[in-house]
Amino acid sequence: MSEVTQTGGRSGIFGWMSNPVHLTRLAIHFGIFASFMSVWEWASRTGRLNDLIMPGPIAIADAIWRLYFATGEIYWHFFVTMFEAVAGFTIGGLIGLGLAIAAALSMTFRRYIAPYAVALNVTPGIAVTPIFIAWFGFGWNSKIALASLIVFFPIFVNTLSGLLRVDRDTMELFRSLGAKKSQIFFKLMLPEAAPMIFAGFKVAITTALVGAIVAEFASATEGIGILMQRYAHRLDIAASIAVLFSMSLMGLILYTLMEMTDRRLVFWQHADRLDRVGHRRFKKLMRLRSRGTRKPLGVSRRAQD
Amino acid sequence: MTLGAVKIEPGVKKAQIGGKLEQSQNDQGKMNPSSPRGQTVIEGQGVSKLFGETVVALDGATFNVRKQQFISLVGPSGCGKSTLLRMISGLIPVSSGTLELHGELVQRPRPDVGMMFQKPTLLAWRTILENVLLPTELSRKVTAEDRDHALELLELVGLADFAFSFPSQLSGGMQQRAALARLLQTGADVLLLDEPFGALDEFTRERLNVELLRIVEKFERTTLFVTHNIQEAIFLADQVFVMTPRPGRIAAVIDVPFERPRDPELMQSVPFNDLVGQVRKIFGNAAH
Amino acid sequence: MEHETIPGIGKSGTFSWGRIAKHMAILFVLLAVWEYVTATGIADELMFPQPTEIVLSVWPLYGSPGIVWYHLWVTMATVLAGFVVGTVLGIVLAALVGMSESTRRYLQPYIIILEATPRIAMGPLVLAWLGFGFGAKLAIVTLVCFFAPFVNTLTGILSANEPQIELMKSMGASKWQILTKAMVPDAMPLIMAGIRLAMASALGGALVAEFISSNDGMGVLMQNLTAVLNMPAAFATLLSLTIVGFILYRLMEMIEGTVVFWQNDDGMRRASRRREKYWRSL
Repeated sequence: MSEVTQTGGRSGIFGWMSNPVHLTRLAIHFGIFASFMSVWEWASRTGRLNDLIMPGPIAIADAIWRLYFATGEIYWHFFVTMFEAVAGFTIGGLIGLGLAIAAALSMTFRRYIAPYAVALNVTPGIAVTPIFIAWFGFGWNSKIALASLIVFFPIFVNTLSGLLRVDRDTMELFRSLGAKKSQIFFKLMLPEAAPMIFAGFKVAITTALVGAIVAEFASATEGIGILMQRYAHRLDIAASIAVLFSMSLMGLILYTLMEMTDRRLVFWQHADRLDRVGHRRFKKLMRLRSRGTRKPLGVSRRAQD
Repeated sequence: MTLGAVKIEPGVKKAQIGGKLEQSQNDQGKMNPSSPRGQTVIEGQGVSKLFGETVVALDGATFNVRKQQFISLVGPSGCGKSTLLRMISGLIPVSSGTLELHGELVQRPRPDVGMMFQKPTLLAWRTILENVLLPTELSRKVTAEDRDHALELLELVGLADFAFSFPSQLSGGMQQRAALARLLQTGADVLLLDEPFGALDEFTRERLNVELLRIVEKFERTTLFVTHNIQEAIFLADQVFVMTPRPGRIAAVIDVPFERPRDPELMQSVPFNDLVGQVRKIFGNAAH
Repeated sequence: MEHETIPGIGKSGTFSWGRIAKHMAILFVLLAVWEYVTATGIADELMFPQPTEIVLSVWPLYGSPGIVWYHLWVTMATVLAGFVVGTVLGIVLAALVGMSESTRRYLQPYIIILEATPRIAMGPLVLAWLGFGFGAKLAIVTLVCFFAPFVNTLTGILSANEPQIELMKSMGASKWQILTKAMVPDAMPLIMAGIRLAMASALGGALVAEFISSNDGMGVLMQNLTAVLNMPAAFATLLSLTIVGFILYRLMEMIEGTVVFWQNDDGMRRASRRREKYWRSL
């Protein structure tokens, strides 16, 4: 298998690095990055690049230092927007999940809620921001509300789609075993829909962040969106870019958290998780203590003929 | 194991085209070597299935399945074999006619009937053992006895080492063996199998067929097996229901007189291929 | 592979007046409850407008003096311009990057970083660079509409259908022919999907751009209306935005249905007829 030749027999990052092709590529990547950075810095220093448009990398690094370490100004705003995004995701997600489950179980509900869901989908969520601000004020709540609104549709549609796409044969199997409706839902529909539901979650968490930031643009006193806006107004571009990086960082953190949860809960889609979980199930099942007499193998249901 | 003493018995039903079947003299009294007890397990009288207003999936099937018989249902697509199987399992209702199992009308899925499909339908998020335990889990709490019982079944189908693996880690053939173990776990004494090995390669299929016969005989189950492969149908069964399409019906019931246990070599013998020819003729005649 | 907005509902072949009537009835009931709740003051009237008031505000908005039309025009100009520029840029750049494997490989990390950054959040930055006015708005919408077509086109070009290409080579096709007759049509579904995503974010992007950098446009209109707490008019404006969004959505759906016709039954039928006419007329 190419695996062995690629990693030269060693595992992990050492294996990966012992391949000469990989090393060359890494070197080229590094080279490109270094030259790009140097040219950029040089252009900025010699005044060829207007500081007001794009400051040099060192200025940006300095701004990052300022925000994160010198003043630590960014942490609170970071937290505010994170909170808004996560809260919005949770609220919109719960509503989306709930309605999707109802729609999956009842064809009539699905049919009559459809036009409203479509209307919600085509309405630019951002347009509702002024209304939310009028209702909830300038504080966190309007941002959370907007994030919830934006998050609703992706989660709703993915959950519904996943729940409806149950394999027909497996459904027949459950029915042939005499399973109750609730058993079919919890033991079949829900796990089978889980991959799609989490796909919706991954989209939603990043969208929630964007929604919170955008709502802050409209009007806010704290949060990373308004922080960036302030710096941009003051033409402190270096700081703006630093804040922008922080937004990416935030997005990355949220997405990674979601990905980790996905790996934990929807473990069967990730081949490397199977052995761990199998081992755990083994321990759990073998712990059952034996109680009464053993049924001989293959006794049929009908004791009498 | 030898093929020597095979001959077509005088009581073997002659092929009939269309319509209902006369009960042959074989049924009552005479000991058919593949059915030690003569009691009827499944009885169908004029069973029909209509889909919508116009689609006649099955037209007036009348048949009789006795205890521990192995019945093959063979025919091309649209002949109603899967439909009949699903009606016996209680998954779809009968449009007209009566269908009785152990003397009771079939109205819904029952614990004494178990089904197996072409797709293994194992749950990807459960280990093999948990999949096998699914039938038990759906009706009550799983005990240590159930677990040990399931483990023994897995050993029987040769999957003892894979009890805590996941379906995606198993090959198609292995997954079907797990599905078979699950079927046995239900304790159902009537087994309905709808082309269970159809998606597998020929070698695996042949192996699994032999294993299936061994298990079904060991556990004394009554089995109905749907296939579109004539050789497979004859090799496995005591009786073959030959079904033709448009409209779906049981065109003929053919007794398979070969002794058990059956060796795959049987499929090379002349009497076997004569029987295959007989069945083919029925299809040829029925095609219009 | 039909696109279903809401999965699990049959095609509109099952159209029936009875069903429309039921939809209308439900809508009527909802509006009635809404009217009741707001008229009797259970809900704060200042915040939550009555449906009747919303209807009343439609005339001054659309009829006379009809201020909506101007703002709508401003917003739509931004949306369409930004959409076209962003999409074209995205597809062209993706095609260029996709041509060379090494270009793609060395650009990859920067693309990933760019993808992680919420483009719309760059709004204030763009404003700082370009100042108030149409330029900044166009730039923001372009940014927003750029990424989906870019990423999708790149993926589409890279995941070439090898057996297909081999076949064409064996028939003696030139590189250009392979590109235009196999690779591009093959990537079309993905490209169209990217274009649809771009359109979906275009309207929102334009509104955000207006929030931060404009004096006209639907976004500004909504801000002004809510600022003076003219909630009925604000809701009416929101409704028109929903209609606009719906029109754009259906427009995209139709375009996709025609371009990537082989993904839906109607498209295939129409294309079959068209092709038949063409071939027989030769």
